[in-house]
Amino acid sequence: MWFQRLPSERVLRARPVDGPFAVTSSEGNHDRLYCLNREAESQGLERGMGLADARAYVPDLVTRPADIDADRRFLVMLARWATRYTPHAGLDGENGLVLDITGAAHLFNGEEAMLEDMKERLSRARLSVKIGIADTRGAAWALSRFAPGIVPAGKTSAALGPLSVSALRINEKTATALKRLGLNTIADINALPRATLARRFDMGLIARLEEALGTRGEAVSPLSEPPHYGVRMTFPEPIGLVDDVMAALSRLLETLCLRLKTREAGARAITLAVERVDQTRQDVTLRLARPMRDASRILRLFERPVGEIDAGFGIERIRLEAGVVEALPAEQIGEGGLVEGEALDDLVTRLGARIGLDNIIRFQPVASHIPERGFTENPAAYGRVEAEWRMDHPRPLRLFPPEPVTSQAARRPPSRFSWRRMRLETAASSGPERIAPEWWRPDEAWRTGLRDYWRVDTRQGLRLWMFHTPQAPGWFVHGLFA
Amino acid sequence: MDYAELCVTSNFTFLTGASHPEEFVARAAELGLSAIAITDRNSLAGVVRAFRELKEIRRKLKARADEITLTVKQHIDPSSRMPVGETVSIPLAPAARLPRLIVGCRLVLADSPVDFVALPKDKPAYQKLVRLLSLGKQRTQKGECLLYLSDMLEWADGSLLIALPESMEQKAEATDHIAQAHRRFPGYVFTGAAPRYDGSDAAWFKTLAALSHATGAPMVATGDVLMHHASRRQLADVLTCMRHHITIDAIGHLALPNAERRLKPADEMAHIFRDHPAAIRRTLEIAARLTFDLTELSYNYPAELAHGEAPQARLARLTWEGLKWRNPGGIPDRHRELAEKELALVDELGFAAYFLTVHDIIVYARSRGILCQGRGSAANSILCYALGITDVSPDMIGMVFERFVSRHRGEPPDIDVDFEHERREEVIQHIYEKYGRDHAGLCATVIHFRSRAAIREVGKVMGLSNDVTAALSGQIWGISSKGADPERLKEVGLDLSDRRLTQTVRIIGEIIGFPRHLSQHVGGFVITHDRLDELCPIENAAMEDRTVIEWDKDDIDALQILKVDVLSLGMLTCLQKSFDLLSRHYNHPLTIAAVPQEDEATYSMLQRADAIGVFQVESRAQMNFLPRMKPATFYDLVIEVAIVRPGPIQGGMVQPYIQRRQKKAKVEYPSPDLEGVLKKTLGVPLFQEQAMLIAVVAAGFSPEDADRLRRSLASFRQMGTIGEFEEQFVNGMLQNGYELDFAQRCFAQIRGFADYGFPESHAAAFAMLTYVSAWLKCHYPAAFACALLNSQPMGFYAPAQIVRDAREHQVEVRPISVNHSAWDCTLERRADGAYALRLGFRQIKGLKKEDADWLVTGRGNGYQTPEDVWLRAGLMPAVLERLAEADAFADAGLSRRDALWRVKAIRAPKPLPLFSDPIDGEHISEPDVILPAMNLGEQVVEDYVATRMSLRAHPMELLRPKMPGLTLHSALAVTQQRRVSVAGLVITRQRPGTASGVIFLTLEDETGVSNIVVWNKVYERFRRTVMGGRLLKVTGRLQREGVVVHVIAETIEDCSWRLSELGHPMDDAIGITDPKSDDTPRRPKLQPRAHHPREQAKKLFPSRDFH
Repeated sequence: MWFQRLPSERVLRARPVDGPFAVTSSEGNHDRLYCLNREAESQGLERGMGLADARAYVPDLVTRPADIDADRRFLVMLARWATRYTPHAGLDGENGLVLDITGAAHLFNGEEAMLEDMKERLSRARLSVKIGIADTRGAAWALSRFAPGIVPAGKTSAALGPLSVSALRINEKTATALKRLGLNTIADINALPRATLARRFDMGLIARLEEALGTRGEAVSPLSEPPHYGVRMTFPEPIGLVDDVMAALSRLLETLCLRLKTREAGARAITLAVERVDQTRQDVTLRLARPMRDASRILRLFERPVGEIDAGFGIERIRLEAGVVEALPAEQIGEGGLVEGEALDDLVTRLGARIGLDNIIRFQPVASHIPERGFTENPAAYGRVEAEWRMDHPRPLRLFPPEPVTSQAARRPPSRFSWRRMRLETAASSGPERIAPEWWRPDEAWRTGLRDYWRVDTRQGLRLWMFHTPQAPGWFVHGLFA
Repeated sequence: MDYAELCVTSNFTFLTGASHPEEFVARAAELGLSAIAITDRNSLAGVVRAFRELKEIRRKLKARADEITLTVKQHIDPSSRMPVGETVSIPLAPAARLPRLIVGCRLVLADSPVDFVALPKDKPAYQKLVRLLSLGKQRTQKGECLLYLSDMLEWADGSLLIALPESMEQKAEATDHIAQAHRRFPGYVFTGAAPRYDGSDAAWFKTLAALSHATGAPMVATGDVLMHHASRRQLADVLTCMRHHITIDAIGHLALPNAERRLKPADEMAHIFRDHPAAIRRTLEIAARLTFDLTELSYNYPAELAHGEAPQARLARLTWEGLKWRNPGGIPDRHRELAEKELALVDELGFAAYFLTVHDIIVYARSRGILCQGRGSAANSILCYALGITDVSPDMIGMVFERFVSRHRGEPPDIDVDFEHERREEVIQHIYEKYGRDHAGLCATVIHFRSRAAIREVGKVMGLSNDVTAALSGQIWGISSKGADPERLKEVGLDLSDRRLTQTVRIIGEIIGFPRHLSQHVGGFVITHDRLDELCPIENAAMEDRTVIEWDKDDIDALQILKVDVLSLGMLTCLQKSFDLLSRHYNHPLTIAAVPQEDEATYSMLQRADAIGVFQVESRAQMNFLPRMKPATFYDLVIEVAIVRPGPIQGGMVQPYIQRRQKKAKVEYPSPDLEGVLKKTLGVPLFQEQAMLIAVVAAGFSPEDADRLRRSLASFRQMGTIGEFEEQFVNGMLQNGYELDFAQRCFAQIRGFADYGFPESHAAAFAMLTYVSAWLKCHYPAAFACALLNSQPMGFYAPAQIVRDAREHQVEVRPISVNHSAWDCTLERRADGAYALRLGFRQIKGLKKEDADWLVTGRGNGYQTPEDVWLRAGLMPAVLERLAEADAFADAGLSRRDALWRVKAIRAPKPLPLFSDPIDGEHISEPDVILPAMNLGEQVVEDYVATRMSLRAHPMELLRPKMPGLTLHSALAVTQQRRVSVAGLVITRQRPGTASGVIFLTLEDETGVSNIVVWNKVYERFRRTVMGGRLLKVTGRLQREGVVVHVIAETIEDCSWRLSELGHPMDDAIGITDPKSDDTPRRPKLQPRAHHPREQAKKLFPSRDFH
């Protein structure tokens, strides 16, 4: 199966566009067309064309950037879908699938009906596809690109003969070189002595030719199943003690963690399913603050939830499954003790087990001069702290929406003012720190223009962070130092 | 209250400073600062701009003392020479004094946390500073400067140094460095305090005060200014993003927190430094100590002494010797008179050495056999004629020498010398060698942001999608340098209420005209007697072995520094090669001067518009004009060269002239006064000089004013000032009794000249080359075509057209052959005594000269097979493949395919020593293979693939049977004027800026070419076809005027797909145009076919698509 417009059709399925459309990819400094829809092609655009040029030709071209990974995922998805026809479905390049339908066609009433079925389903999914069915993988490839259809068994050589040499899965350079020698079709080169060809072109050509004609074998490698992270243990006698469960859990965890380790993965959520003798089941899910595969640490985190399990008449079987798995590359293991930050992660996990992981918030610095924008609140379990807090311009511990203060003072903070029904007197002040709004981002709060921030120590003991807006005169309290 | 700003970073600190130096100066004048220093990062590139602006303001103030506004133009985009932005009037206090300009730079040291602003106090200090910068620049690559603290300590004496510590994090080191500097230059080092407005200024100043106390370097206030006005903060942020390659949303703390790094008035600075009043006062003290002014740069031209002979005496001697050589029969009185007058003038102005420099360069070039010719305002003097700088004799055109070397200007003469383009580098290296790199350097050219780059880069920073940026740039065809126009934005469907977009558009408008980096001037050499690296910093150019100064040609002009332009011209290469061929094969040695003048056959050839390859008149417009102009004498060519240019076209001078010339209109002069000025051009002003003379004679300009007008034409950059002259000009003409209409037309033309107009002297120099090349083409077509091919790339036409033209002139063209060709095309004598043109290996795409030379060296008695070439010439298999593909083995009896088949069998890059003798060694015998023979179509395509042309047949010839109803191109000249259809390969595709969107196509078929005119409306309908087609079929009305034939396109059909019917996989090699003759965007070079087997599938199996 050859999905000739996979990238653009993937995007268009989500967001249909009328008229010419193209997916672009950046190569160095240039944006090039990577995949076009039929409309764009009919307007004379070509793959590989520079975007600027394409626009000069077709001004109303709509484009989206390419996402190779998403295309790949989409193709894998299609491969999964294709297992409805045969278990042997694999990927073929960036935009093709290869299906070994040996022994499967009769289930669909023969090859013809199967082909029709594929076409119909895919066209309903708004994908354009060309399909070739032949004895060999190479021949099917050639057919799908150059003469979609079915070649009956044993007729491969005759069917491929008139096709262009490009149909041999050789690179374009070799194909052109062959054509310049007048060897336009597969039949032409098939007629030549192999040795002369091998001397002039690499063995790859011969290999491709023989693979297509079936004189050399080539396998279809189906897509592998995704790994499964689940283990279970059945007890000869029902158990009921926490210690017993923990002991069993410990063994299971070791197997599970080993499995995670071989795939360089870590669990973010582990579900413990406990089946009791009375056929009821209890699930305990442990959500982790970071991906982990350290059995002993995970075991400790299980202590609390396991204590809450009601064993009833005894537990017959337990199952442990890592529900959410993330990549966790292998790391050098230090000498004993927890690495910095790990203790915090464990704490977050423990707290999360009680109040919910999403309810634990952590401040993170954001690079911006605007105080309100200088931080974000993120769930503590997700996202690492990348940036450093800037310490050169002190910010108050508490920041609230600016609260106006009546005062006529202009250049320096007022000596007396009232705020929150308190009468305050300025003892000392330092400033101003002038901050102008971020011009590229509209912000209602900053409509009054730039602000002169002052640190004001009052005789009453409050240390305020105040600002003056010279462009719309007024004083505000914005925060509170200790 | 007074204040002098001592630290200003202009936009010549590329991608950092957010205002032009001119803007700083104007703003400083407005704020009434007492002095302003332009201190760019390790650079002096911006100071001259500021200097020039200040001079201009001063002149304006003097001229209109009663007016109290100062008009400041935003800036002039130098690429398009159009004013960008609006003119702003700044009210100036009546008694305003102008700020003093202080020259300096900010030394950023690689090993110090402290920047030092260096301000030279006098000329010696300036010279040392320049040496310091040159040192740093030559140490590293282009555009960078690597300096260490030790360098500064060695070279900065005489300069006042203001230390600017960044932060106190490396306090100990900073203190140490400042103390070191102070110990080395006591009394010259200061601690600069720049307010930061971050809430800690008071503490910061206190820290600095303590620092200054500890080091002994007193504290001085500076603004550390980045912009002239707070509104430039956005631009400054955008520049920061460009510098860091990030988008504005990711700028974070790199953004300016506020706009306080702007130029500030004295009272504001005083308020900021209220606790340190001495710091403000000290700025004035420092400014007062700095007496250096750029006008002091007394510039010494090299003396050009030879054997103790004084320049003037030597010039006189050479002149008289030259005149004797030019006039073997005795010097005519007129020449003697002119020469005496010019010598006296040159003596008075002291330019003898300059002429000698040019003379010496030319003598050097001649001694190496490099053809050259001078042009430029001073070049058409009897002096230059006598010295051999130009071959245009004073009898050919009227010479008005004193107008270009005028007394009251005291300004240098201007001589440009063109050299063969392939050999100019030799001349350049000779100049470096002769004067030394300390004394000679190329000028810089400032590369500015132009529309397209501005839109692209600002768009990227502002995070606009490619779609929007592309829409902003609009239809890209030709260069536009106007900012984005709101009306047009609406047309392309952009939402202007979108805040981001409006901001972007505004910033794009601001950034256009900003300098982006320095590049080297095409050939402007500055040569000095004193060390050049004491005049201006010298840096390494991107090209090897070249050094460049930091100032561009306008800066040099402003400082009155002489410059010699060493330019390259392809036609000179071609002429030299023609002359070589002539002396070798025809035994007819020639030089430009020796070509017989006023040759009738030559002129009649030009009158037929038979001008492919002829210098300057081979373009479409010129070829159309030739039959109407019917040049019959040299001066006609001068006019021909000058008239078909945007200047006269926009001034509407072409039609009147041609009417008068064809005697369809009466020759009349606006006034008797102007008859003398306009007589030669039948009453129509065509040359720059005439425009100037009209200004003097008719509009009553003083010579000085006229000269300023001329300069605002010559240096396009000052185009903005032209407007100022309009009123004066038109009023002056009205007062002298001319009609308003005529006055306005005259001025329109002067404006046009600013775009592109020729002075008569340039036109004459070019016309000389036009004549010589035409003469060669007329009398020695084979040699001329051969020389043209060997000088490629140059000129307007591709080799295919040159070859076709040669064949049309009965020159036999022989194909490339391993046994006969050399790298260059050659002439071969035929049995009948005539010469045939043998194509050279240079026509083969992808073949290197070195390989061709090896092949020729190893040829001996000829090659029989590709193996022979491989064994004897040692060429790589890939090269052999190129040769086989070009059918170069045909002579050896191998068809292209057979040759290729044999070459393919050779895999090793080099023969193994044991098997190098095929008879002796083991020979692999393999079965014979019979490959299908190539049909003619495939052969033609192969020819195009290998050499971009075919001697066998034209593709149209093969396709014609399938395309009925076409008119042959050769028949167009005699067909009735009716609707016709023509088809052919596109060879040129142009949309001249002057032709209001009309597109000219030239199509070629086997019988000749046809000229297609596509009007805008038709173009819009067939846009893609016109832009992308390689083989077009055009139907339209035939129009004929004399010998000029056009087809006015009505429908256009793209027949490129038919080329694939020739039956070859690489048919797209046909119809590839040259960028210089095709204005459309390039098609992708990378053949996308690799991803597109579908195309092939269609061809082979039509309609088996089922989707």
